[in-house]
Amino acid sequence: MLETQQLTKKFKDTIAVDDVSLVLRQGESVGLLGPNGAGKSTAIAMISTLMKPSSGDVKLNGKSVLKKPGEMRRVLGVVPQKIALYEELSAYENLKFFGRLYGLSGNKLEQRIDYVLELVGLADRKKELVKNYSGGMQRRVNLAAAMMHEPEVLIMDEPTVGIDPQSRNHLLETIRKLNQDEGMTVLYTSHYMEEVEKLCDRVYIMDHGKVIAEGTKEELKAILSDQETVLIDFDQNYPELFTKLSEIEGVQQATAEEHSLKLIIPKGTRLLAALFHEAERYGAQVVNVNVQTPTLEDVFLRLTGRKLRD
Amino acid sequence: MKAVFLLQWRRFYRKPLLVLAMFGLTVIFVSVTAAGGQSGPQMIPVYADESMNNQQAQTWIERLNGEEQFQFELMPESEARSYVAEGDVSQAVNLLEADYRLLVGREDPARFALDSFLRRIYSEELRLENAEQTTPGIRAEMESALSDPALTLSVESLQGEEDSFQYNGQLQLLFGMTLFFVIYTIMFSLVRIVDEKRTGTWSRMIISPVRKWQMYLGHLGYSFLIGFSQITLIFLLFRFAFGFELGDRFWLLIAIAACYTFSIVALGLLIISLITKPQQLGAVIPIVATGMAMVGGAFWPIELVTNEILLAVSKALPITYGLQALTSVAVYGNGLKAVAIPLLLLLGFGSICMAIAIRLMEWRSAS
Ligand SMILES: Nc1ncnc2c1ncn2[C@@H]1O[C@H](COP(=O)(O)OP(=O)(O)OP(=O)(O)O)[C@@H](O)[C@H]1O
Ligand SMILES: [Mg+2]
Repeated sequence: MLETQQLTKKFKDTIAVDDVSLVLRQGESVGLLGPNGAGKSTAIAMISTLMKPSSGDVKLNGKSVLKKPGEMRRVLGVVPQKIALYEELSAYENLKFFGRLYGLSGNKLEQRIDYVLELVGLADRKKELVKNYSGGMQRRVNLAAAMMHEPEVLIMDEPTVGIDPQSRNHLLETIRKLNQDEGMTVLYTSHYMEEVEKLCDRVYIMDHGKVIAEGTKEELKAILSDQETVLIDFDQNYPELFTKLSEIEGVQQATAEEHSLKLIIPKGTRLLAALFHEAERYGAQVVNVNVQTPTLEDVFLRLTGRKLRD
Repeated sequence: MKAVFLLQWRRFYRKPLLVLAMFGLTVIFVSVTAAGGQSGPQMIPVYADESMNNQQAQTWIERLNGEEQFQFELMPESEARSYVAEGDVSQAVNLLEADYRLLVGREDPARFALDSFLRRIYSEELRLENAEQTTPGIRAEMESALSDPALTLSVESLQGEEDSFQYNGQLQLLFGMTLFFVIYTIMFSLVRIVDEKRTGTWSRMIISPVRKWQMYLGHLGYSFLIGFSQITLIFLLFRFAFGFELGDRFWLLIAIAACYTFSIVALGLLIISLITKPQQLGAVIPIVATGMAMVGGAFWPIELVTNEILLAVSKALPITYGLQALTSVAVYGNGLKAVAIPLLLLLGFGSICMAIAIRLMEWRSAS
């Protein structure tokens, strides 16, 4: 129902979005993954008719929205990355205003406010001022505001940044319900892999403005199907040992964290003997070895050579 | 548009402090300062030296007190000097036979009014005396002619007649402070547009079905109305609660207030289209407001300004025309015809600012 065709945005000295073609089908839940600066927000700004593309097109049900943004503005709800609310007003007042922007009034408006407040679990605190809410509650109102006009498509730009686990679970659960129970089409942007794994049927991975991979979760993981991830925990940090291990033949990707090392290797690589041998030489103690099938995080790492989060 | 407009009132209701402060400051400033000044005509000590006998001096005093702008009192020089020295009055007059001297203790806007008043009376008087020497009896003739004129000529002009500058300290203060403080109210409500662009609520509106001009109109409408209400309420308050004499054409004062408010709203929009950072606006707005008020005559009458450059600058400021029009109506009792030009200038100024501002903003958001 919604697609972008070779969408491109050039700023003075960067190409923020480069030849991006996405498709959102009715009722689908699609993830847009990418590290900081990948161009996710810029792409969303163009899709939502906030920003004009340098080239390319955005289509809703086959019709370009660039010249006639009206229909898109009616059916689309956008949850912005930054909390965009009037913080000196209450949640109720904010929602009332955003509902009015879409022509709601009277009873219908009040009912809708009650509904979305219930949805995000803030019905009992609606009279409080937004500035007195916790970060997580503000995020929830931020979502609620985009829901006022019953959008058919909901685009969320990192809606869970900087919130406590409880609010986050609540939010994720809400989005899942909207998608599965109410058939709302969802485009979910994040750099939290777990969220996308949990919520989305299909995933686009963006980096440096380009889509570098797309597919269902399974398809993406199949990129690494002949590989496995080995996670090794040590008793402490051994930088030299870590370097040595990442140079073992067959290791395709190595990431060191404080006391542990993560290696991506082809299936069947005989790693353990070499591992224990080297550990012995450096006097290091291996605490735990864990062999996993790859996650989307690993896929990302493999594709970009970078981690999703810095 | 209605939603955006109504929202601004809701926000005002939740956060009224700034506007109330500007309203309160105007009221406090005007009422305290006006109460500090004497009510009724200002007393001016007058003394003469030996060049004039008591009889002559007394005649002068009567002549000077013939008009009620000032209250002249004859006294010995030492007494007049001590009045001035102790700061009870700002100035005293030393009468000479065909001239006068001002003894000035401290700067007072009234000095210029006093000076021009004395100059007028003196030149009239000296001309009459000259005429009397050639045509005895002309004074009596003139007086009877004046009390029974063959035709009356009423002069209405923008500034009032050039050398009949009337100084009404109370109204000068009221108009000056009102037009000054309302600049803050108006411009800081427009800063909300900048704030919305920063926080993202502006983007939220853009991607809604509401059109951009409706968003602007909602904001501008609010800023206009809040500024206009502030001026109107202050005028009503001072007229009815404080008993200020505002002339017979109150509605015209309100019309002037509306035109002035429009011009300031437009100027504010121009400023926020040029300066897009809220912190910078926090510095720029007070500079603009104070600068305009000083040059445009809100703090002291523009008639006191002699510097050519400042006078030229003042011609480009809406506050100059606002004050001029208000004074013209309230102090000189003029009607709509007399203030039509300043009103048109205010509206023209506003339209130009608004046109430039909208161009600038569109150009910026397109690039
Ligand atoms: N208005 C702008 N002017 C110039 N450059 C911009 C502008 N907006 C974004 N960019 C640049 O475009 C690139 C993509 O930015 P964008 O915000 O779309 O990334 P993102 O994927 O949303 O990142 P994040 O995860 O940090 O939100 C960045 O390099 C950014 O600096
Ligand atoms: Mg972003």
